[in-house]
Amino acid sequence: MKTSEIFSSDLPVGEKLSIRRTRFEPASKRAKKLKRISIVSGIHGDELEGQLVIYLLADWLNKNSEKIIGIVDIYPSVNSLGVDTITRGFPLYEVDLNRTFPGSPNEFLPGQVVYALSQDIKGSDVAIDIHSSNIFLREIPQIRINKEFSKSTLPLAKQLNCDFIWIHDAVTVLESTFSHTLNSMGTKTLVVEMGVGMRLTKEYGHQLLLGILNLMKKEAIIECKDDFITREAFSSEVGEVFYLNAPKSGLFVPSLDHCAIIQKDQKIGDIVDPLTGTIYCELKSPAEGILFTLREYPVVYEGSLIARIFGENSEKN
Amino acid sequence: MKKIEILRIESLSRAPFVVEGYLFEGSDATAPSIAIIGAMEGDSILPLYCASSLVDFFKNKIEEKKIKGNVLIIPSINHYALNIGKRFWPLDNTDLNMMFPGYELGETTQRIAKKVFDAINGYTYGIILERRPDPATCIPYVKLFKSGYEDLKAAKKFGFKMIHHRTVKSIDTVTLQYNWQLWGTKAYSIMCPHENQIDKKTASQINQGMLRFMDKNKVIEHHIFNGYESTVINRESIEVIKAPKSGIFIQIESAGRYVSKDQVIGEIVHSLEGNVIHTFLAPCDGMITCFYSTSLIYENAVAFRIAKIG
Repeated sequence: MKTSEIFSSDLPVGEKLSIRRTRFEPASKRAKKLKRISIVSGIHGDELEGQLVIYLLADWLNKNSEKIIGIVDIYPSVNSLGVDTITRGFPLYEVDLNRTFPGSPNEFLPGQVVYALSQDIKGSDVAIDIHSSNIFLREIPQIRINKEFSKSTLPLAKQLNCDFIWIHDAVTVLESTFSHTLNSMGTKTLVVEMGVGMRLTKEYGHQLLLGILNLMKKEAIIECKDDFITREAFSSEVGEVFYLNAPKSGLFVPSLDHCAIIQKDQKIGDIVDPLTGTIYCELKSPAEGILFTLREYPVVYEGSLIARIFGENSEKN
Repeated sequence: MKKIEILRIESLSRAPFVVEGYLFEGSDATAPSIAIIGAMEGDSILPLYCASSLVDFFKNKIEEKKIKGNVLIIPSINHYALNIGKRFWPLDNTDLNMMFPGYELGETTQRIAKKVFDAINGYTYGIILERRPDPATCIPYVKLFKSGYEDLKAAKKFGFKMIHHRTVKSIDTVTLQYNWQLWGTKAYSIMCPHENQIDKKTASQINQGMLRFMDKNKVIEHHIFNGYESTVINRESIEVIKAPKSGIFIQIESAGRYVSKDQVIGEIVHSLEGNVIHTFLAPCDGMITCFYSTSLIYENAVAFRIAKIG
C-alpha cells in the first residue's frame, strides 16, 4: 500500500490543499501488465457515503493483501477541502467539480484539479465514482449509466450488488462529468448513487463493498475463493422512471420511512403549512414499482423533487 | 410602461418569489425588439444596478416616441439569493444559468428558467448581464458563443473594447445565451466586473454600450458617441498567468491597462511573514483583461489574463 499526492496547491495561510490516492498492488512484481481499477469519491464535498465504502475496501485489502493480483487505486476525497467543510462545490470558486471535466493545466484551479485526477486515472481498466445524491434526496444503491457507453459498462454494473441500474440518455451537459470523460478515454466507468448527503448508511456501505469485491474478482484484480453473493439489479431497460415533483411549496412530511416497493396511488406524504395547520396536498405514487428516490430534506418549493419510482407502467406523470 | 409578472412561487416561510419585467412598447411594429436580463445570481449587484438604471432611463429619460421596438427589462430573476447574500438559488444552490431552456414539470429552478425563457423568447435581440464564473474581475466585454447562430457583426455595435468569441463547451449548452441563440434571438452576454461596491463609471460604460447597440440596431432613436472598434479575441489570444506561490495577492495593474513585456503587474506577499515572495511580470505586450479578485490567492490559481497584442 502506498499513498501519493496527485495534486497539491499551497493555500494562502499556512496550509496545503492535497488530493491523495492510495495504491494497492501485488507484493511481488509480475511480468504481464496488471489490470487496474480506480475508485473515486468525494467529488462533491457533501457526499460522504463513498468515504465509508472506500474505508471498508481499504480495510479488506489490508487484511487480504495476498489476494491482490491487480492494481487498486482509491481516491476517497477528491474535493478534499469541500469534504472537510461541508461544501458540495470547490470552495471559494463555488463550482461543481463534476461539471468541470476534462479540465486542463491552463484553466482556473478547479479545472486543474479535475485534469490532474483524470490524467492519474487514465489507463485504468475500470473506474467507479461513488456519489450519495445530495442532502435533499435519499437513494437506494443504484448505478447510473449513459446509454452511449452502456454496451461496455452494463455487464460491469450487474456485478456491483446494487438494487437498480438506470440507463439514461446522452445529455450534452453531462459530457463535463468524470464518468463521461473517463469513458471517452477508454476506461469503463460506472457512477454509483446511494444514501444521502452528509450522512453514512452503513448497510449500503457493506452492500456496495460486496459488489466491488465481486467485480474485482470477475475482472481478475483479486484472486480468492470467497464467494461474493450478490443481488440482481432491476434495470431501467425493462420499465420507466416516474418523477413526482412538489405541486406546492411547504413542508414535506413523508408517510414512508424507506425506499420500498410501492403501489399505484399509495400515499408518499403530505405537503403542509405549519403556520395555519393546513394540508396543502397529499402526494400519491403515480405508478406501481420501486420507490428508489425519496425526499429527505423537508422544505420544498413548487417543483422540488419528492420521489422517483421505477415501474413497468407506461403512463408517465 | 407595463409591469408584467413573469413568475410567482410561494414559499414555506418567505414572502412569495415574484419576478417582474418592465415592458416599454415601441411605436413602430416593424422595428426590432430587445429583452435584457439583469441579475441571475445573488452577487450580481452591478448587473442589477445596470438593468434598473436602464428601467429608469426608459421610464424617465427618453421620449416615448423614440422607443421604436419593444424593450423588455427584467432587472433580477433571483431576488431570493440577492436578499440573503447567496450566489445561487438559496435552497439547493443550483445555478439558474445552468437550467435553460427550462422545463415546466421539472425542478424549481428549471421551472423558473422555463417561465423566464417563455417571457423573453421571440425577441430580435437579447442581452444578459453576467459576471465571470471564477473569482476574477474584468473590463466590461461581450462574450459570444460560437453556436453557429451568433451574429458577431452586430456584437461590435456595443462598442466595447473586446469581444470574446468563444467555442461552446458542453456545460454552455444549458446557459441562457446558448439557448436564446438556438431559438433565434441574437443573444449576447455582457461580462461585468465583479465588485461589491457599485462603480458608477463602469455602470455608465455598460449602459452606454447597451444604448449604443439599441440605437445602431434601430430599436430606439437615441444617438450617443461611438464606442471602441471592438477587438475580437479567442482563447489563443489570451496569455494565462498563474500564481507560482500562495499568499496575499496585490495587483498593481488592473483590468483594461496596457502593459509591456516584463512590466511589474502584481506581487504576492507571504501571508504570515510579510515579505514579497513573488513579483508578477507581464509575459508579453498586451492588455490585462481580468485579474484574480480575492486578496488571498491559492498556488496555481490564475492571477491575470492578458490579451496579447503585436
